[in-house]
Amino acid sequence: MNWRRLRTLVRREVLATLRDPFTVTMLIAVPMIALMLFGFVLSTEVKDLSLGVIDASETPASRRLVAELAANGTFRPQRYDTRDALEIAMVAGDIGAAIIIPPDFDRDLRVSSGRAEGATVQVIYDGAEVVLAGNAEGYLQALVANTVATMSAEDGVRPSRVGVEVASRSLFNPKLDGKPFMIAGTFGFVLSFLTVLITAVSIVTERLTGTFEQLQVTPATGVEILLGKILPLGAVFAFDVVLMVTVAGFVFGVWPQGSMLFFIVVSSFYVLVSLSIGLIISATSTTTGEAVQKSVLFSVPLVQLSGFAFAIRNMPRPVQWLSEIFPATHYIRVSRAIYMRGAGPIDLAPELALLVLFGVVLMVVALRRIEART
Amino acid sequence: MSDNHTNHGGGSVVRANLARRKPRSFVSNVLAVAYKEANVLRHDRALLFTVLAQPIVILFLFGMALSNKPANVPWVVLDQSNSAQSRRLLEEIESTGYFLPRQTAWSRADGRLRLQRGEALAFLIIPKSFRRDMERSRPRVQLLVDGSDPLSAARVALYVNQVAARSAPPRDPGERALPAVASAGVVDMRQRFWFNPTLLDRNFFLAALAGQLLTNLCMSVTAGGLVLEREMGTFEQMLALPTTALEIVLGKVLPYVGVAYAVFFFSMFGAGLLFNIWPKGGWLPLIVVTLPFVVSSLGLGVFVSTLAHTSAQSVFITTFFIMPSFVLSGILMPYQLMPHGIREFGGIFPLRWYQIALRRVVTRGAGLDEIGVPLLVLAALVVIILLATRWRMKPRLG
Repeated sequence: MNWRRLRTLVRREVLATLRDPFTVTMLIAVPMIALMLFGFVLSTEVKDLSLGVIDASETPASRRLVAELAANGTFRPQRYDTRDALEIAMVAGDIGAAIIIPPDFDRDLRVSSGRAEGATVQVIYDGAEVVLAGNAEGYLQALVANTVATMSAEDGVRPSRVGVEVASRSLFNPKLDGKPFMIAGTFGFVLSFLTVLITAVSIVTERLTGTFEQLQVTPATGVEILLGKILPLGAVFAFDVVLMVTVAGFVFGVWPQGSMLFFIVVSSFYVLVSLSIGLIISATSTTTGEAVQKSVLFSVPLVQLSGFAFAIRNMPRPVQWLSEIFPATHYIRVSRAIYMRGAGPIDLAPELALLVLFGVVLMVVALRRIEART
Repeated sequence: MSDNHTNHGGGSVVRANLARRKPRSFVSNVLAVAYKEANVLRHDRALLFTVLAQPIVILFLFGMALSNKPANVPWVVLDQSNSAQSRRLLEEIESTGYFLPRQTAWSRADGRLRLQRGEALAFLIIPKSFRRDMERSRPRVQLLVDGSDPLSAARVALYVNQVAARSAPPRDPGERALPAVASAGVVDMRQRFWFNPTLLDRNFFLAALAGQLLTNLCMSVTAGGLVLEREMGTFEQMLALPTTALEIVLGKVLPYVGVAYAVFFFSMFGAGLLFNIWPKGGWLPLIVVTLPFVVSSLGLGVFVSTLAHTSAQSVFITTFFIMPSFVLSGILMPYQLMPHGIREFGGIFPLRWYQIALRRVVTRGAGLDEIGVPLLVLAALVVIILLATRWRMKPRLG
């Protein structure tokens, strides 16, 4: 490997890129968009959810319950008269949940000799919207229970402590804010999906337009030509990492709890891993379309199974093992550990070792494949 | 790539002829372009790859692998009471099936360390006085969760709370029931999940499966669409034909519509045969609403390819469009929970309205009349996108 030749090739690539700002703009714009998207998207907070209400009781107690549900904007109650009307509204998506208060709600709430149950309300959720229903469930339960407890206390009735009280607290992220979780994961998404896609497409395009062949008549070896193309790409992605960390910090207020430098170093190494995968895909594709399809086909499961959006432990056991094969899984784990729990190199040693192993293996395979082709 | 100024002389003659054309030749022109395009598609390896492989991969992912419901939750317990009551509580929590067999912590610090290291998601501390508290009807425990993944953390806390709330203090057989006044103020919430009684994640994802697959199909349109033609020079050949911009766009889009419907049926039957998820509202509403969605998505793909000069560029631009479309549409993450401006903004993407219609028909059993709004919006989007594409292509076709 002749370093001077390599340096010349890199310089050529950089100059060519500077003349065509489109690619670089995209390489910077798309990760930014991803960051914005995912930063704003995940939320466990229910706000302004339309709630259908059938109040068969129409007493101060029931009206108070409904008012409390609307109180801090969590739910937006809408009155209906019949269950059928509720069903029509739910099918149409007008309401996401409904609460039915029975006629004797008020009475049951106070005293009823011999009755140990207390009052009953029925709550119905739109099962078609599973994630939403899950979140709404938590809020609704808490609000109803709290309101009833408050009302009973005011009436001088001591509610019995049925059951065990749980004082819950959350370590790392007490407000259960979704942003750090998603942002840390976005690095994984961008550096896995986008990097692979763009690398594969760039190489294939270059090969199709014939400039590779031109370079091959020069004294440069196949490996050098490729590295000349890859290293500037890698540099752009590494710059992307720094940019994303900065933007996440200033726009979302999310900074890594651990060392920023450590995070950037690890991420830059992971960029190399993805570049290698992109190279391997490009070596097996003849058209741009094929490179795109293969990248997408490979990256979609990779991203979904890597724990980016769906927790790995929720998956069936065999699938969990499958997800361990993807480098992205380990990188996202590391990324989240650094961002949210402030982990350092010692805590993450096993994961880092695995990443290094993946990286080395993939790079060797990529370079071999390229050599075989050229 | 030469621009179209060279064709000026011939172009104006062609345009004069076009002005006298009848509508019938419009249709035949479109079909002619479509036929040629379909022949090209047959040899497109990449497309066949997508059409066959992707549905299978995504069916597997969402049917079997991915879920939001916590499972295999690692948790650690510090049981300072070590009484029959505390052990019963722990067993009740484990019997929910969400949790792995519990780990035991030596101390508070040890438990927190396990949370820190990610070895456990939840840390339950049962105080020494638990048994006495139970007898006095004031039992209390402490739960620390790892809030890194807020969705899972919230769910886990909810489950523990639910189990604990149901765990009534045991009564001596000889003891009389407590007076009713002590039990007043308790509300019993009967919960039901309509349309999906077990709240299966799978139903949520697979109902909108077609939306995912069809959106991905767009990528192949742009990567191998107008742009590739322009690069190869066959585009110039098309310009010499007496077809208008609109006819070319429609003709190119038409064969893909056929492919899209094939993918649609493939995915619906896949979800149905493998996971018993069939459209409760019938097939007709779905078939009807799929058309404007596919045309608008493909039109969007063609529009994107007019913005690019090389196919590499078109891939980048497509990602630019498809990512927000996917995330903001609500197909995987609920759009109802997104902040207000962003929620509305997501409405410009066809996928949002398609997934609304899909879920309404498949899971809730809506009929054609009940998806009127999504249908209308999609139809409007079709018109807008086709017009925008035609406007974009006009200078190029002279």
